[in-house]
Amino acid sequence: MTEHEGRQTQRTGTEYVRAMYVAMIQARILENKLSSLYKAGKIVGGVYLGKGQEAVSAALGAALIPGQDIYAPLIRDQAGRTAFGEPFIDCARAYLGSSWGPMRGRDGNVHRGTPKEGVLAMISHLGSAVAVVSGSLFAKRLKGELDGVVGATCVGDGATSTGAFHEGLNFAAVEKLPLVLVVTNNQFAYSTPTSRQYACADLVDRAVGYGVTGHSVDGTDFLACAAVIGDAVSRARAGEGPQMVVARLLRLSGHGEHDDAWYVPEVIKAGNYGRDCIDVAESQLLVHGIMSREEIDAIREQAAVDVQAAVAQAQQEPAPDPYKEVWHAWSTGRFYAEKE
Amino acid sequence: MSVTYIDAIREAQEVLLRDDPRVFLYGQDIAVFGGAFKATKGLAEMFPGRVFDAPISEDAMIGMAIGAALQGMRPIIEMQFADFSSVAFNQIVNHAATHFYRTGMPVPITVRLPSGGTAGSGPFHSQSMEAIYAHYPGVVVVTPATVADAYSMLIESVHLDDPVIFCEHKFLYRWLKAQSFQGDGLPIGQARITRTGRHATVVTYSAMVHEAVRAAERLQKESGWEIEVVDLRSVKPLDIDTVLASVARTGRLLALGEAFPWGGVTAEVVSRVVADGFHLLEAPPMRLNSRDTPVPYHPKLWASHRPTPESICDSLRKLLSY
Amino acid sequence: MPRVAIVMPQLGESIAEATIVRMMVAVGHKVTTDQEVIEVETNKATMGVTALCSGVVEELRCEEGVSYTVGTILGVLEVSEEEVIRTGVDTLESLEIRRLHEEKIESTAAGEQNLHFAVEAESYEEKVPELMPTIRGLAVPAGTMGAHYISPRMRARMDEMGLREADLSAVVGTGAGGRVTVDDLEKFLDYIQTWPSSTASPMRLAVADAMRRSWTRPLATVGTSVVLDKLLQHRREQEKKPGLTLYLLRAFALALKEQPAVAGFLIGAKVVHPRSFDIGVAVAVEDGVLVPVIRQVDAKLLSELVKEYDDLVDRARRRRLTEADTKGGIATVTNFGTFGLTWGTPIPLPNETLILGIGAGVKKPVWSEELSAFVPATEADLELTFDHRVVDGGGAGLLLRRIVELLQKPESL
Repeated sequence: MTEHEGRQTQRTGTEYVRAMYVAMIQARILENKLSSLYKAGKIVGGVYLGKGQEAVSAALGAALIPGQDIYAPLIRDQAGRTAFGEPFIDCARAYLGSSWGPMRGRDGNVHRGTPKEGVLAMISHLGSAVAVVSGSLFAKRLKGELDGVVGATCVGDGATSTGAFHEGLNFAAVEKLPLVLVVTNNQFAYSTPTSRQYACADLVDRAVGYGVTGHSVDGTDFLACAAVIGDAVSRARAGEGPQMVVARLLRLSGHGEHDDAWYVPEVIKAGNYGRDCIDVAESQLLVHGIMSREEIDAIREQAAVDVQAAVAQAQQEPAPDPYKEVWHAWSTGRFYAEKE
Repeated sequence: MSVTYIDAIREAQEVLLRDDPRVFLYGQDIAVFGGAFKATKGLAEMFPGRVFDAPISEDAMIGMAIGAALQGMRPIIEMQFADFSSVAFNQIVNHAATHFYRTGMPVPITVRLPSGGTAGSGPFHSQSMEAIYAHYPGVVVVTPATVADAYSMLIESVHLDDPVIFCEHKFLYRWLKAQSFQGDGLPIGQARITRTGRHATVVTYSAMVHEAVRAAERLQKESGWEIEVVDLRSVKPLDIDTVLASVARTGRLLALGEAFPWGGVTAEVVSRVVADGFHLLEAPPMRLNSRDTPVPYHPKLWASHRPTPESICDSLRKLLSY
Repeated sequence: MPRVAIVMPQLGESIAEATIVRMMVAVGHKVTTDQEVIEVETNKATMGVTALCSGVVEELRCEEGVSYTVGTILGVLEVSEEEVIRTGVDTLESLEIRRLHEEKIESTAAGEQNLHFAVEAESYEEKVPELMPTIRGLAVPAGTMGAHYISPRMRARMDEMGLREADLSAVVGTGAGGRVTVDDLEKFLDYIQTWPSSTASPMRLAVADAMRRSWTRPLATVGTSVVLDKLLQHRREQEKKPGLTLYLLRAFALALKEQPAVAGFLIGAKVVHPRSFDIGVAVAVEDGVLVPVIRQVDAKLLSELVKEYDDLVDRARRRRLTEADTKGGIATVTNFGTFGLTWGTPIPLPNETLILGIGAGVKKPVWSEELSAFVPATEADLELTFDHRVVDGGGAGLLLRRIVELLQKPESL
């Protein structure tokens, strides 16, 4: 990465795809661990994994610049978070209920974020982050700080049906903000197939309707994701207005770990989009000589060790204490009643 | 020279735009047009690049305000009518209101809701939504009844770090006049005794404060009853101490509001007074709200849907005869 | 060797339990971290319970085909110290210590420990709570002051039971400031259940109510004695013998006619004067008193009153009085001498200011000025009870003196 007038530039080329791959592997191993902890009864509440979505997510996360860009990851974006710089311990703390995590037990799992560092803490209402990221970009423009900055968020095929998605994207388009919106069309919204979700032939057709640039990509194709998503981020950064990327893939897990996805037909699982993007990534990296087998294995091993260490640490940390909690939601101290 | 309630709101926004570069205004038709009620008249010209027209997207309006606030700005969002804020309900209560609790980073947005009914405005241009938002932790809900309060409380709202729902009453916009914007400078969170009395306390807010004072004067003339009127000024946080002190003097309580009868501010006041001031009560506390129907369109129906000086006097007579 | 639990996970937000489908390991098997060891089924899906760390299966505490609640310990692994440190897991022993500080653990019927919730032996639906009447043991608000304070709730209870504050005089208050609470009242009522009792008759209740209302005023009694001989002589000479009470009625009415203000009735700042000298006579009936009223006693001579008087008294005794008979009196006369009593302090009716009572005539030596000696005479005590808000001792005294004077001239009555 090179410095340019105080603004950092986006990763490109080999550096970019290597960063992507490392994040994907780390995310997969971390999420396998989360799944196992869940099935061992150590995690309370929902566990939603990004299995199958790592290439798309990491492509976005690795193209963004921490400390400069704004990122609103959604529920299957562990790879993106890791690529953007989230340490494993934040994830482990959020799931294992440590009071030292970023949300201090007040929210959990994928609802975590560090807004001061530009990572928004999602709320469960899908589509609602689009307007918030756009608003942050709008503010940066008012302050004269928008040059070279990008704001990005991800939604699934289901979220494109929400009013919030529509209002947010329309606003970003009207204001011509540098928003990158990645739509991962994984064919199912929980158990609902896309035939019940939208009537247009392809979600990317909506881009024209909004007045934004649309891109399509095979979400299982590692190098294709790097090319298309990396390009979309560059264009936004260059001031070309909102970019909408529709990536087609398949969810390789249930909607949550409590769900075994029995409703996904076998024929879809066996098709092209049922491929595991990590397998595709490895073969592509090896074929193109970008990484060696030894490097790949070393990354995997190190990831396993680091994930285990984070999980072990988080499990020994204290849970929040209801008796020591400040049970108020205002930041204005003088509003708290003196007596309960 | 006299100024109106809407003048106060406009002036406050001008002062805020002038003195704080973090402030900007966002709403439908507020730029060149100056707003549906002219609350932002001339401000787009005075402050170029600070006053923006929004598309009809209440959800996105609040969402963008949150995003901007997280970048250090202090946006004021004008909802064209309070009634339309329900489209933004999710962003207000789930995003803005929970953000500080969840992340430790406050969201200093101010959402202006033109609230309350005027004759002929109908079910979707008349609502009073303070209770809906007050129900959620993390929100500040403000309901000014006077010209000076509209001015000072809007400025104070923008300075607060918490998200503020500013319920301004449409009926008061041009009807309520004062000599100047300067008032007693009471902060948000403190109620005011608008009229002192001995025999019963009426606790209310916004336009109903004026109806209550009218009713009190009528009763005084008619039969010598001295009715005390408490203006809550902010519904959340609620100044229950001032209310209790008043009930300690009078022993009788009427909680009055323009909003719908189920739950709400009047129910909250009564429940707190009964819990903390049970021994002060000479008579069962009463509530008077609008009728339990959507706000009707026809002016004759509308006039009898909300509390009036007559219906307030009726309630007070019942209260006083217990 | 440290021991680590295999626990039933919560596989979905509304899931409370899962059924064991298949045991994938047996006692003595080695397992590795994250290995699936037990297959379970919920109503949403089938999945595997995993091991938190590597170790050897020491114990299995579950069976295929059986359902267990979330948090139940399904098995135990024997784990090395190094593995505990490497994975950061809680051993059974460290959990025990933590739980003792935090929560109680209740054993299930099978004697198992549950790591997530305190599990009851029976299922929740089977426990039907015993409904306690809410009126008992009502807490008193700490801020309530004063023994005279009757809470809204207490008032409602009293209304329900037809009680007045006078009825509470026997109840000891244990509430704040000594006030009587609903609980005190209930306890008192329970207590008197054990005593023999009878139901008060409507007559009794009517008198009770009238006396209670009357007594809310400051009442005073003054008395004097009256020599009855002239009166008795007059009576002997009459054909229709008027009762002693009738002479008293006439004297009272005539005296009042001269000084009507003494019978005035006070309401706020207004004194309501009599407009017709209608005076009542107290008649003892079973379990009570009735007071028929004789109209315009001032205008009718003694002889004219006899018939009316007899008729009213008779009807009173037979309980045949109408409302018109008892309404509108301005004062009452009562003759308790008929019971052999010499003096008393009668209570006026609640709507009247005065009541005049006479005791039995008793033969006494009375000083005669003319003869300068004690002579035998029949003397009776005459009492006037009055509402001291309207009348003072002086006014009452004057009235009594006048009545005595009038009684010495029975021919003018």
